[in-house]
Amino acid sequence: MKSETADAVLEARHLRHSYGARRVLDDLSLRVGAGEIYALLGGNGAGKSTTLNIFLGFVRPGSGSASVCGIDPSTAPDEARAALAYVPESVALYDHLSAYENIDYFLHLAGANRHRTSVIDPALDDVGLVASARGQRVGGFSKGMRQKVAIALALARNVPVLLLDEPTSGLDPRATAEFNDLLEAARKRGIATLMATHDLLSAAAVADRIGFLREGHLDEEVAANGGARFDVDALFRRYSERRESRTA
Amino acid sequence: MSGATVRIAREEWRWLARSRVALVAGVLLLLLIITATFTSVQKHEAIDEARARYQSEQIEQFYNQPDRHPHRMVHYGQYVFRPLAPLAFFDTGVDAYTGNMVFLEGHRQNSANFAEARQSSLMLRFGQLTPAFVLQTLAPLLIIFLAFRALAGERERGTLRLMLAQGISARQIVSGKLIAHAAVAGAIVLPALLALTIMSASSGASAQALLIILGYCAYLIVWTLMALVLSALVPRARDALLALVALWMVTVVLLPRGLPELVAASQTLPTRIETEVAIGRDLKAIGDSHDPDDPYFNDFKMEVLARYGVSDVQDLPVQYAGLVAMEGERLTSDLFNRYAADANAREDRQNALVRTFGLASPLIAVRQLSMTLAGTDLDNHQDFLSQVESYRYSFVQHLNRMQAEQIPAVNPGEDPRIDASNWLEVPGFAYVAPNPLAYAGGRIAQSFGILAAWLAGLACLLILAARRLERIAR
Amino acid sequence: MSLFLAELKLTLRSRIAAAALFLLFLLAALAVWSGISLSDRQNAAIERVQAAHAQDLAAVARVYGQPDGDAGYGAYYTFYLTWDRPSPLAFAAIGQRDIQPFTLRVRTLGLHSQLYESENINAELALPGPFDWAFVLIYLAPLAVLVLLHDLVAGEREAGRLRLLLSLPGARGLWARRLGARYLLVLAALALPLVLGLMLTQAPLTLGAGSLLVAALYLAFWSGLGLLVAALVRSSGGGAATLLGCWIVLTLVAPTLATSAINSAIPAARGTDLSLAQREIVHAAWDKPKEETFDAFFVNHPEWRDTPPVTGRFHWKWYYAFHQVGDEAVAPQVAEYRASLAARERWTERVGWLLPTVSTQVLLHRLADTDLQAHLAYQDSIAALHRRIRYFYYPYVFEERPFTAADFERLPDYQPRPSGGSLAWGSLIALGLAALALLALSLRRAHRVEMVQPTATSRPGRGFLSKPAFT
Ligand SMILES: Nc1ncnc2c1ncn2[C@@H]1O[C@H](COP(=O)(O)OP(=O)(O)O)[C@@H](O)[C@H]1O
Ligand SMILES: [Mg+2]
Repeated sequence: MKSETADAVLEARHLRHSYGARRVLDDLSLRVGAGEIYALLGGNGAGKSTTLNIFLGFVRPGSGSASVCGIDPSTAPDEARAALAYVPESVALYDHLSAYENIDYFLHLAGANRHRTSVIDPALDDVGLVASARGQRVGGFSKGMRQKVAIALALARNVPVLLLDEPTSGLDPRATAEFNDLLEAARKRGIATLMATHDLLSAAAVADRIGFLREGHLDEEVAANGGARFDVDALFRRYSERRESRTA
Repeated sequence: MSGATVRIAREEWRWLARSRVALVAGVLLLLLIITATFTSVQKHEAIDEARARYQSEQIEQFYNQPDRHPHRMVHYGQYVFRPLAPLAFFDTGVDAYTGNMVFLEGHRQNSANFAEARQSSLMLRFGQLTPAFVLQTLAPLLIIFLAFRALAGERERGTLRLMLAQGISARQIVSGKLIAHAAVAGAIVLPALLALTIMSASSGASAQALLIILGYCAYLIVWTLMALVLSALVPRARDALLALVALWMVTVVLLPRGLPELVAASQTLPTRIETEVAIGRDLKAIGDSHDPDDPYFNDFKMEVLARYGVSDVQDLPVQYAGLVAMEGERLTSDLFNRYAADANAREDRQNALVRTFGLASPLIAVRQLSMTLAGTDLDNHQDFLSQVESYRYSFVQHLNRMQAEQIPAVNPGEDPRIDASNWLEVPGFAYVAPNPLAYAGGRIAQSFGILAAWLAGLACLLILAARRLERIAR
Repeated sequence: MSLFLAELKLTLRSRIAAAALFLLFLLAALAVWSGISLSDRQNAAIERVQAAHAQDLAAVARVYGQPDGDAGYGAYYTFYLTWDRPSPLAFAAIGQRDIQPFTLRVRTLGLHSQLYESENINAELALPGPFDWAFVLIYLAPLAVLVLLHDLVAGEREAGRLRLLLSLPGARGLWARRLGARYLLVLAALALPLVLGLMLTQAPLTLGAGSLLVAALYLAFWSGLGLLVAALVRSSGGGAATLLGCWIVLTLVAPTLATSAINSAIPAARGTDLSLAQREIVHAAWDKPKEETFDAFFVNHPEWRDTPPVTGRFHWKWYYAFHQVGDEAVAPQVAEYRASLAARERWTERVGWLLPTVSTQVLLHRLADTDLQAHLAYQDSIAALHRRIRYFYYPYVFEERPFTAADFERLPDYQPRPSGGSLAWGSLIALGLAALALLALSLRRAHRVEMVQPTATSRPGRGFLSKPAFT
């Protein structure tokens, strides 16, 4: 399998984490290679965001370790963050700035001092934000458009890792389809994408592999089988079984 | 009043009682009012006691002077101390800025000296801890703190829609909140009310005390209304807070400070020295008693001679120099009064200008009201100064008459003196505290008028804001 | 650096921040104008008084400057004018200049019956305090800082940008840069009008630099406090309320309480005492044997011991001697009075070690030379003049020399005191330490903002304001 041969860009090894007495992650391990899209699928409270937080260096795991391009975010958060781009669940930007200005500012914050202009437009082209919208203030943007801006920022930063938290929640079917196309753009650039989601359909549509997360533990990983992608019905059956067993 | 309104008011109280910040702020303000009242009463008593002691000490000294020429006593003079008005503890007004001790002597008008503000570090200009300061400056802030989220918070949380959806009208919601916060305003005034009642009972100033309380109630309700209007107009609680604090800043801090400079620049007050020089010049223009050919004093002499039916000053039954001194004092005092009236009129014009601009700030209205009723406004001080001047005139003339009548007109000897028992005939200074209701009734009515206008205007605004709330939340 | 510029631009593009800054600038400009107007008014008044006084003096000289003129009369009727011009920096910090007399006339009689005369002021206008640059700095600038900083962190959290911001590699310096940008903007809004005013009044560079330094430190204190609160609170409403609470305590409550405590602990009643005592001594002299007066007088003025003795009922040398003896006799009360005023100043400075608002007030007004100390220095210059005029007349009076028109030409001149602005080092150090400590503390705390996991779920309390009542 591809992921086992390629060098993992993103890797979690035996992560455990608790908030007080509540165990949130229990021996979670996963690897995401370059150009791969990995969907971390799980219900509310399964521990998806916590996993992302560990990669981001926001949370220090109780035990186990994470690495982003070989860097441990808990000891070198800035270096790890320099290698990744993160798109939060609800993308909020500076409403009084235009799409272009927002990206310019965030890029600047991320340490890009020169040549910002030469990367922003291609990135906006890649995410398909129409030219007329680029100069408009983002105050009136829909969630889908904001997400495009955030992903354009990620592409413009030209980093090897993309972390997405619930990217399709709140998107209508058409915006979801557009989003799926966006991930293809990331894949083409060889970016390792980790996407936390509870949306089975979206995961099935874009992911190379899907990890089923249940109560902090990775129950099972399923890989896409070539061009046929996933058998959605089978996945759905598994997903709901798991949910039932959990509620039982 | 519907059940829902009362319920909303009760809910608001419950929220206030459970909110730690609100509780802490409320308790702190209460403590502050109590501290202010106690220290102010204490200070008031200490000052009053000291001034009364100095006053009686100095008159003792005056009466104990030995046999002397009366003119010596004219320059020995008297010290007069301004007694504090009974309600001055509540609002010290201008007392710290006007001197409280005046030295009275013949043909000179000295200033009132030793004002506390001139003897204190600049820190005094941050304000003085009196109940009036707390009520005027800090109480509105507490009201803002407690009320800014009353409506904007409900809107932000979405509970406003919920209530409206259940058929409660925005007017009921707004009146419920108003009742709740007006009651808070009442609770703030309560300690001051107690202190004023106790202190005014013994001094017979209860009418003034009552009006003071009424004024502050109106003032705090103005702030309650203001807080609710803004809370209803602004979509976010945080914005309501910022807007209210900005309003407070402008009306309580900025306008009262900014206006005086505008006013002072438009209306110049002459300095003491200019006035002294001008009076000296005017006196010379009237006549010079030392000049034997002076027409004014020659006329005066003829008139005196005619009055006593003699042809030479040597034959007068009284000492002519004493009569000249009396005439001189009369002329000087006339001029003093004329110049003082002019200066007072200028000050009054300045203050009237501030009061007119004061329409824009309820603080200016309530401050004026409070000072006037507490007997610590500038008019009251001006009245004290004019009482002092007329006393100065009468005691100096008393002594001058003694000179005219008891010092021999001819051959008085090298060191003529009269008996010390004469000094006892000079009455001491008896200050009659003016009644603010009598001398400043118009101004008091004006201040109440301004506060009433604010109340009415804000009440209308609140009704409009309630209607708007209903429209936009649906 | 260019990132810093980006932050500056970002701040200015926020409407509420730009409005607050513009308002602050406008008010500072108005305050500078108002201060200059007051300074001009006082200078004009001094000129008017000088003109009036010159007329008065000429009239006195005409009457008493006769070939056989008696110096006693000349001294009795000649007033000497003193004045205290506003320093070039007074416009920025008016201090007590609006309530203290800045012109005073004295003559050769007892100094302490003349020195404490006050000026005609409209007390109701003075009551709220002057509207000057120092006021804008001490009271209003912190509110501008509040507007700019209260939601520094919570605002990003509430807008949902915080996680995105913190996920960027450069996030570490974010708060420091934003703090710096906003701090500089507030400082600039205040400093620009002041610099204009300084150029207009041609104030010495050191005084201008001193007041800018004080402003920079005072704003640094508030910025530190603002960042600390912003890093601690969960909501922007909580941030605004907390900072406002600090502002109320620091500008309204604490200084008022401190004044009340200082003034009751250190009474200044000696002023009254010395006036009453001096009158007793001076007037009792009329009824005492003249030798007693002269013996007392000669203790400090032995050079006149061998002048012709007084035989009659009255002689000017005796008259001026007992006035001087009266002054000397109340010296202990005068010293105590002055000591009580100095003690009030000292304690105020100490209060300033704890309250930056007070130390800033102390510093600015010491620089502008408009505080109580400045007025006492003016009184000292009057006392020096009084001494010079006494010694000017003594030879004429004691040696019984005629005092002629020519002598009127040689009257001693008043030497205005040199402008005495200085730096109150103790207060400066206290203010600087407070500013540094708060900045360091707040930057450390802000650094930890990124460690705190910013989720929407509420977590167990983290101490201070963890459960804000204001949302
Ligand atoms: N800062 C926190 N403190 C305490 N509990 C938390 C915290 N963050 C998340 N949790 C809990 O950990 C569990 C996993 O959360 P999360 O990783 O956000 O789940 P999800 O898979 O929905 O993203 C949830 O039960 C959540 O309540
Ligand atoms: Mg999540």
